[in-house]
Amino acid sequence: MSRTFSGCLVWTMAVATTVATFALAPAARADEPPIKIGYAISRTGPFAPGAQVTQEPNYLLWADQVNAAGGIAVKGGKKRKVELIGYDDRSDVETTVRTYEKLMGSDKVDLILPPWGSSTNFAVAPLANKYGYPMLAPTALSRKLVDMKLPYFFAVLQQPDRMMGALVDFLADKKVKTVAVVYMDDLFGLENVNALLPLLKAKGIEVAEKKSYPLGVKDLSPTLKAIKAKNVDAFLGITYPPDTILVSKQSKEIGFAPKVFYSSVGTAFPLYKEVMGSAAEDVMGMGSWNAKSSPAAKAYFQAHVKKFSKEPDRWASGHAWAALQILQQAIEKVGLDRKAIRDYVATTEFQTVVGPIRFQGSENITTPGTIGQWEKGEFEVVWPKDRATAAPVFPKPAWK
Amino acid sequence: MIARRLVGALAAVAIFALPLYGSPFAVALGLACLMYATLATSWSIFSGPTRTLSLATSAFFGLGAYCTAFALGSLPWPLIIFLGGSVAAAFAALIGLVVLRLRGAYFAVLTFGLGEVVRHAVTYIEKSQSGTVGRVLTDTPPAGTVYITVAVLAALAAVAYRTVARSDLGFALRGIGADEERAATLGVHVRRAKLAAFCLTAWFAGAVGAAAAVRWTYIDPSSVFNPFIVFQTVLIAMVGGPAKLRGPILGALIFSLLAELLRLRLPYLYMIVLGVLLILSVLFLPEGLAGVRWIDRLLAPRRRARAEASHV
Amino acid sequence: MDPSLFADLAVAGLITGGIYALIAIGLNLQYGLLRIMNIAHGEFLMVGAYLTYALRTATGASPLWFLPVSAGAMFLLGLALHRLVFRRLAATSASPEVLEERSLLVGFGLMFVMQNVALLIWGADLRGYDYLSDPIQYHGVVVTANRLLVFGVVVTISAALMIALRTTMAGKAVRGMLQSPLGALLVGVDTRRLHPICFALGLAMAGAAGSLLSMIFEVSPSMGESYTVTALIVITLGGLGHIAGSFVGALVLGLVESFGMYFTSPSLKVLLSYGVFVLVLLIRPRGLFAR
Repeated sequence: MSRTFSGCLVWTMAVATTVATFALAPAARADEPPIKIGYAISRTGPFAPGAQVTQEPNYLLWADQVNAAGGIAVKGGKKRKVELIGYDDRSDVETTVRTYEKLMGSDKVDLILPPWGSSTNFAVAPLANKYGYPMLAPTALSRKLVDMKLPYFFAVLQQPDRMMGALVDFLADKKVKTVAVVYMDDLFGLENVNALLPLLKAKGIEVAEKKSYPLGVKDLSPTLKAIKAKNVDAFLGITYPPDTILVSKQSKEIGFAPKVFYSSVGTAFPLYKEVMGSAAEDVMGMGSWNAKSSPAAKAYFQAHVKKFSKEPDRWASGHAWAALQILQQAIEKVGLDRKAIRDYVATTEFQTVVGPIRFQGSENITTPGTIGQWEKGEFEVVWPKDRATAAPVFPKPAWK
Repeated sequence: MIARRLVGALAAVAIFALPLYGSPFAVALGLACLMYATLATSWSIFSGPTRTLSLATSAFFGLGAYCTAFALGSLPWPLIIFLGGSVAAAFAALIGLVVLRLRGAYFAVLTFGLGEVVRHAVTYIEKSQSGTVGRVLTDTPPAGTVYITVAVLAALAAVAYRTVARSDLGFALRGIGADEERAATLGVHVRRAKLAAFCLTAWFAGAVGAAAAVRWTYIDPSSVFNPFIVFQTVLIAMVGGPAKLRGPILGALIFSLLAELLRLRLPYLYMIVLGVLLILSVLFLPEGLAGVRWIDRLLAPRRRARAEASHV
Repeated sequence: MDPSLFADLAVAGLITGGIYALIAIGLNLQYGLLRIMNIAHGEFLMVGAYLTYALRTATGASPLWFLPVSAGAMFLLGLALHRLVFRRLAATSASPEVLEERSLLVGFGLMFVMQNVALLIWGADLRGYDYLSDPIQYHGVVVTANRLLVFGVVVTISAALMIALRTTMAGKAVRGMLQSPLGALLVGVDTRRLHPICFALGLAMAGAAGSLLSMIFEVSPSMGESYTVTALIVITLGGLGHIAGSFVGALVLGLVESFGMYFTSPSLKVLLSYGVFVLVLLIRPRGLFAR
């Protein structure tokens, strides 16, 4: 093929693709105009596993349920259906920011839903605040972000001091004396550890070992063996799903079975049970609800399984659903005026699948820090006692 | 000739004035486009003529971003940008002294490795010093300022590329790219030439990093030292064709716009389409976008003969 | 230092190194021979991993049965890709450097396509299964059965490859091509047939590596990239085109990581690995076993 011809060929194809995609405009809708809700979420890249388990499925399920019921009754009046406008943010902050600029600045959607992860929420929250769009984030965990005091930003997940507070209270209650801490080298790991250490000190619990590790580590057995040799009462891991599974598996391999084995994120995922099998028994982690928490929780759980053939996770998934419930209740009460929604969210206590939620500033102050534990194939909430769906198992027996 | 100059001037005005008439999204997209145009053009200053793939862009970009994180609020904006670039250039000079003796794939992988070393070093230092790993940027300048900054950097990069290409340095670099030993025997100061071009590339990458950082409010090592940035830069420069100036610029323009369009219209399939288009363009456009005949004719019909004659 | 601790760390390091070796050797074959910088190498590993995962979860049989399936599927894919894409690329490239550059870009394209096809089919969630995760003890050294198995398979495959390269006619032809492409042509080596086979073989090894890795770690569509990076580091460390070099380089890297992690902290592991890598290249710019 001559150069000119092949060049032209490629160009024609590129242009054709462009024109075709432009032409693929969505069909017009009849009846009441839909409520346009836009968001960017990670469908590709390193954030995708988390986002696709915890967040986006909830968005899609919610839209389905709402539309099946005819839509949301805006301010108690006419029902309007929800139209989700979702884009892939490629786990790239720049792309995320740009997409929200488009949604809020150019397309002027009615409402937005947040992206996944603390660092992305960090980038989008000030932007949402600038444009006046309320943002209820179920996967943003950072005291720094909350301290920015953005009026339009609401963190639905429990912040580090609460989650770590619950953990330390439990340890003190069981008279644990020594712990070893292993944590991820990033915002999540560091904020949690910084919250954890002073709390441990206050209760007189000794930290025998403290080691951090980078994302993508493939072997932690040398570290775990060193920890085993120190004979600690409790192992506390501030870890992400791949590392949670890694430390669990490797601890089992070397026979490291302290009285408490806690590995923060990922223990709540159905994946953990799949991979660990019976060895998941009595492992603890961050979890705040399950299907037994309330009838509403059960209904949500079953709907999720029915639509996606996979279970929601027992921590942030619930909070993602709660955030959507809050949004819906706000729309039903005050309509689509974004300032009115913000004011309503800021001052009201809501009933959700994870219990009552009320905000003070950007923080959810009603949901306490919680601990989950695998017991007989279900991730039960075991602490605090008034929220527990089962009693905690202490000490943890040997790995099964 | 005059018509061409006029069109060029109008285009320049349109680009620089975008914050005044464009929607925030258009400005954001334009910013991304210009950012990659700068990165790709400056990358091509070194890697184009010497034909040595450098993957150090992420390191330079990230260093510039951290400059901003430290200096924002205490120094005026233009100085921060200049500082960002200079820190990156200084780093390039330091590592260049030892690293530039390698060639080919070894050099590429080594520069990539250096990028990762810098990332982990910064993480470790930050963690030990401040017990945290990221920095929040407050008092950031408005989007319009950032846009103009990057537009200016893009223009400077283009000027730098052209200046180098037409200078003795450019001649030397092309000679090195063709045959390094022979160039040395012909009197070219190989090390000095490479170092100069390498540092120039680094300066621009650092400056762009310094500017782009304020868009994200919160920066941490994994987002600013992200290898994705260097991969995209190399991709754009090479698809465009790094031997001519119009290559990386066209590459940035087309790639950014096309990728964005596809992403917005085909939310689930766009990456696959992009990948296929990429493979096809490599197969059928051996000299990159810059080599496509009719673009050539469009941009410089009468000058083509002169340009081809001067092409070593 | 306690001898059993030393043995423990050494064994862990060797096993990690063995995994790196399997991934690296395939890439080295492609690059050393064909100057094809297949940056999508890790993606083939990923597909191999998914194939084994899917078949294992569907049938419940031992994943070892599906190792040849993953490898075979990648081999066929490699043949197809070579025919459709790389042969034309080689034919239209003016020099090996140009071929290298262009195959890099094609690699990117393949990466986009394969990762996203995997995403569409299997979704972005992490997936995994449990296989042979019981520990084996020997004088204070503890290793899981699956890691030991993987190491065994890796050593077998690598040894088989290296022996084949030394003793068989085809192997000698390949080594001839590795040393001098033109010379090989002159002595009558059928490069037209051997090129696609070697390329496909490289991919088959990636598929096999993926299959083995799925027994130890979780799979996700983006798992391939970090392995590609590791493979690139290893082959550069060992010397481009030097197969045995990659094997040694991989083991060295594994050992550095294992001991390094123990004495410092896992956070510094990457710093150490890259640090060692940079140091080696500065002293020996063409890798440990430069040709």
